[in-house]
Amino acid sequence: MQTVRITVNGTQYEEAVPPRMLLVDFLRERLALTGTHVGCTYEGVCGACTVHLDGEAVKSCMLLAVQADGHAVTTVEGLSSNGDLSVLQQSFREHHGLQCGFCTPGILMNMTDFLARHPEPSDDDIRHGLIGNLCRCTGYVHIVKAVREAAKTLAGGAG
Amino acid sequence: MDITVQDSKRWMGARLERKEDLRLVTGQGKYLADIVLPGMLHAVFVRSEYAHARITGIDVAAARALPGVVDVITGDEIRTRVKSMRQPVVLPNLPAKYPDYHALAVDKVKFHGDPVAVVIARDKYVAEDAAELVVVDYEELPVVVDAEQALAPGAPRVHDEEADNEMFAMTFTGGATADEQMRNEAEVQRIFDTAEVVVSNRFRVHRTGITPMEPRGVLCDWSLADGLTAWITTQRPHIDRLALIDILEIPGERVRVIAPRDQGGGFGVKAPFYRENVVIAYAARKLGKPVRWIETRYESLMNVGQERDQINDVEIAATKDGRLLALRNRGIANNGTGQTGVYWGFVMPFLGQVEMPNVYTWEKGDIKLRVATTNKACLTPSRAFGHFPTRFAIERSIDIVARRCGLEPADLRRRNMVPKLPYTTITGEYFDSGDFLKVWDSLLRQIDLPAFRREQVAARAHGRYLGIGFACGAELSGVASELLVPMENQPGYGAATVRVDPRGKVLIFGGDAPGGQGHETTVAQVVASIFGIDPSDTLVTTGDTGATPFGAGTIGARAGSYFVSAVHKACAELKEKITHVLAHDLGVRATTEEFAFTNGDVIYLRDPSRRKTFREIVERIIMFPVNLPEGEVGGLEATAFFEAAKPMICFNADFCIVEVRPETGEFTIKRWATSEDVGNVINQNIVDGQMHGAIVQGLSNAIFEEFIYTDEGQQLTADFEHYKLATAADVPDIELSYASTPCPHTPLGTRGIGEGRPSSVPGALCNAICDALSPFGIEVTELPLRPSTLWAQIRDAQARQH
Amino acid sequence: MFPAQIEEYVRPTTVAEALAVNARYDEGDALFIAGGQSLMQALKSRMARPRCLIDLQAIDALKGIEYSDGVRIGAMTRYVDIAADERLRGRNAALRDAAAHVGDRQVRNRGTIGGSCCWNYLASCTPAVVLGLGGRMHLVAADGTRRVVPATEFLIGPLETARRADELLEAVSFAGATDRGGSAYRKWGLVKDALPVVGVCVCVELDAAGRCSAASIALSGLAAGAQLAPAGAALLVGSSGDATTLARAMDAVAAAVEAQSDKWASTAYRQQLIRTLGADVAATAFARATA
Repeated sequence: MQTVRITVNGTQYEEAVPPRMLLVDFLRERLALTGTHVGCTYEGVCGACTVHLDGEAVKSCMLLAVQADGHAVTTVEGLSSNGDLSVLQQSFREHHGLQCGFCTPGILMNMTDFLARHPEPSDDDIRHGLIGNLCRCTGYVHIVKAVREAAKTLAGGAG
Repeated sequence: MDITVQDSKRWMGARLERKEDLRLVTGQGKYLADIVLPGMLHAVFVRSEYAHARITGIDVAAARALPGVVDVITGDEIRTRVKSMRQPVVLPNLPAKYPDYHALAVDKVKFHGDPVAVVIARDKYVAEDAAELVVVDYEELPVVVDAEQALAPGAPRVHDEEADNEMFAMTFTGGATADEQMRNEAEVQRIFDTAEVVVSNRFRVHRTGITPMEPRGVLCDWSLADGLTAWITTQRPHIDRLALIDILEIPGERVRVIAPRDQGGGFGVKAPFYRENVVIAYAARKLGKPVRWIETRYESLMNVGQERDQINDVEIAATKDGRLLALRNRGIANNGTGQTGVYWGFVMPFLGQVEMPNVYTWEKGDIKLRVATTNKACLTPSRAFGHFPTRFAIERSIDIVARRCGLEPADLRRRNMVPKLPYTTITGEYFDSGDFLKVWDSLLRQIDLPAFRREQVAARAHGRYLGIGFACGAELSGVASELLVPMENQPGYGAATVRVDPRGKVLIFGGDAPGGQGHETTVAQVVASIFGIDPSDTLVTTGDTGATPFGAGTIGARAGSYFVSAVHKACAELKEKITHVLAHDLGVRATTEEFAFTNGDVIYLRDPSRRKTFREIVERIIMFPVNLPEGEVGGLEATAFFEAAKPMICFNADFCIVEVRPETGEFTIKRWATSEDVGNVINQNIVDGQMHGAIVQGLSNAIFEEFIYTDEGQQLTADFEHYKLATAADVPDIELSYASTPCPHTPLGTRGIGEGRPSSVPGALCNAICDALSPFGIEVTELPLRPSTLWAQIRDAQARQH
Repeated sequence: MFPAQIEEYVRPTTVAEALAVNARYDEGDALFIAGGQSLMQALKSRMARPRCLIDLQAIDALKGIEYSDGVRIGAMTRYVDIAADERLRGRNAALRDAAAHVGDRQVRNRGTIGGSCCWNYLASCTPAVVLGLGGRMHLVAADGTRRVVPATEFLIGPLETARRADELLEAVSFAGATDRGGSAYRKWGLVKDALPVVGVCVCVELDAAGRCSAASIALSGLAAGAQLAPAGAALLVGSSGDATTLARAMDAVAAAVEAQSDKWASTAYRQQLIRTLGADVAATAFARATA
């Protein structure tokens, strides 16, 4: 067991964890933050477990909890504040950017980071940015639209 | 929220934000892996490394000795304590050789991934440690993975008790008796003998399917008092419950199955009754503790989501001016082991052959299927159930006929399309309603075909190869009992309970178990439009057999056809009661039609000043059931079952434009456009989303995804690095359009949509590719469509031409 | 799947400390973890079962790109930082081409150049580019001994490098930008940005007259691992990058290569991709050299 201090969605947690525990299990099982999902075995391809590590999108199934010691993690539960959805979350609702919702938290986390770095993306940029997130339901059409419209809203300052 | 929608009737067809989405975008969805019970144990399966081998011994001592391990269960234990998986509740009423099998492998393993043992431990990491310590001794047996080899005399037998590997065979045309079928065969042969144009091709479609993003899972709890509660990722909780009752021999009142409210996609993969359900339920009962199994992606890709895998030898007889005369097909399906309850693998290719003729007016047909058992995982249903390969074969064949006749493929299709409905095809498939030609013509209005042909010629002069491809198809709009009883031994009706709450809210309970289709929203819009309330004043509960009416499950595009129709029927019953009481209270003699339910009020139309709010009148009926009309009692709750008189369909048509680079065989999809008959629309966003998803699934199946087995039956594609799903950067935008006809057989004119929709995709895509490459005379007859194989074909054609 | 038991996880802040921990363990029992985007796959599938993981994330000396005579990229420098560094241009531009398309955004936010080179997976982009650009690998041992190994010697074969068990890769260095140097890299995979079925890196140096004075071609995606294609490169020398020469050079590369045949591409198709992709990549390299 190893003691880690990880700030998750603004709250610092101190927990003793086995070194082999995956960050995604730490989030889901220790902190009961089950919005972060697991969709692959060892390959780290599906992206459903994407969270922010110090503000950057990473796959939490490809990190050990001990590696996040001393860092800040944001999960999908941390995207909205006081019940107010982020512009991107709202855009996904408005434009039907999800169906089963399993991949959605990972996509929201990746695209939140993406929009912060690419405020005026083309559709090709968005599609390229989404490569690390597999979605089976939507054919990506409404996801691209939701991200595009969120970018417009953010640019307009309306968000 | 679209606040411009005021009139209650306008809820129908609105692009309403989904009720599901607030929880799903905030990480508050509750999927199976999110459910935790106190003291819950974790299960990890030990699975076969071999495709075919005799189990000569299993040593579990080391695994049991690992601290934290609670139990290790093998096939020998399961065999003696639990009935086999082949029970009537999961057996179709079709004549097949159904293999008997147990929840864990006994004596033999029959495919790479076959479950051999299960480890139960207090910690999931430890369970995996222990699973590594289970030692299984195998004696390898000869393997058969190819369907034709499996059917050949002398092939290794997958099931020792069977004389051969032919699990199922059927003739779909000519009549019910062998004599009638032989006469038909001869008549078809005569047409071929004299036909001006005969086109014969062998079409192969690889093994692929629709893998959901959430793998499977089972959580079982056992209590002496209440028996078994099982949370299962499933599209059919009610059928699963019956299967658990029968196989584990638990009295029915002591079994409750709950499909979690949120499920990460199903697409057919979560429709069968699986062995893991039985193993986990058995373990929970034995240990008296909750036990959970969450499937890994590796297990998922080894065991489920594998479909297609057919060969179809298609022959078409036609006149030289492009009239289709006869269709002959000899289909062969590679079923894998055939060990999966409800479908047994072969039900998919069975339906695929039923749908083979598609929407064309054949004079005669001769269609036969053979299904081979092999040492692969059993086929499991995947969206475009069974007919992804047959639709590809027929739509490609149509284009080949058109090229032989020198006709525009779009014209040849139109000319042979069923002009008027209803219509029964040569295989007996019933098309209830709609207007195929209207949809087709609407599709063609989205492209200036002569202008495209000019552009194509001009481009070729510059060494650029553009092509256009068309395809179309009728899909089942829900599956009627008429088909579901023989195919799956279960009813097809839609089931719904509608309970009006004294506070003016409406609670709906459905027997289905959705996985992303948006039932909560769709039903809310229907109920809101009927009762004149806001969709937010409704709550939909699905999936819990303890709370919902018995229903077929979320299968075969039945939400928009059967489920909402059952909801409508229950609402109509309640509406009648409400107006009956209201008329009595107002002292008028009036029929239900003389009242309007709108904007939260129930209004007497002959004197609109006489009204009550919806809440007032329902509270009065539920809570103050005094001074009621004679014969009426209080309470407002109704359960209704809906079954249309006939099976129903929807229809769709696609075209796409591609550019092929002959130097590498790479291709770009420049446009994908559709026209759809979806009947009346309840939520346009949801319908659009269904189409987008289905079309991209079709593309992903056709181009990228493939389950690969070696000749030894080793499966090489059990992770997402090798089983390649299309990413957002790999697929085009989709242009949808609609030319719908309301369905006359549902109360709202709606159709069930989405299930069969991927099937037209490979035909349209490959037709476009072949159109682009027509100077080389290339006809694609195999999937997947890979640049590498296309390039090889182009190179061979160039060599022939020089 | 979950990693097997790990006894110890340490996060040193200096290279010396990292090497000291490593020295406490028998060979293979301690593993360095950089970005972990390959190693975590191996841990989770239990292909790798270290007793100790030495996390390099806190060693600042291993991070960042330094420009002096040449370019020195710290082993822990991430793809995202390489892809974004506009100073990597001309003869080093291929590094950005590769880094910008490794895996996906999430992978690029973690994955490092040093991790990729030391793992040396056959279907990864970085080793081929490092090879094509004449990279030099800076290694340091537990006793403080430093040595510089050319990439050609370092990258032995799939999952195999010249790094000794007691060594750590500190940095990868390249020649600095020149007036007339250009390079490019592109790969082909079935889905976008996936591990390459084949990838081509071309690096050229032009003289004042615009003629190629030095060239190298490196390939990724081949069963034998990242490799140079000297026969093709030789044909580029002396040319001005005209289409005929590029085609001839890539024909020579394709003819000489030992390409495997698998479910994703036949040998012949890999050769064809080398020809078509290679010609495009070479043209880009020449264009960058003259820009």
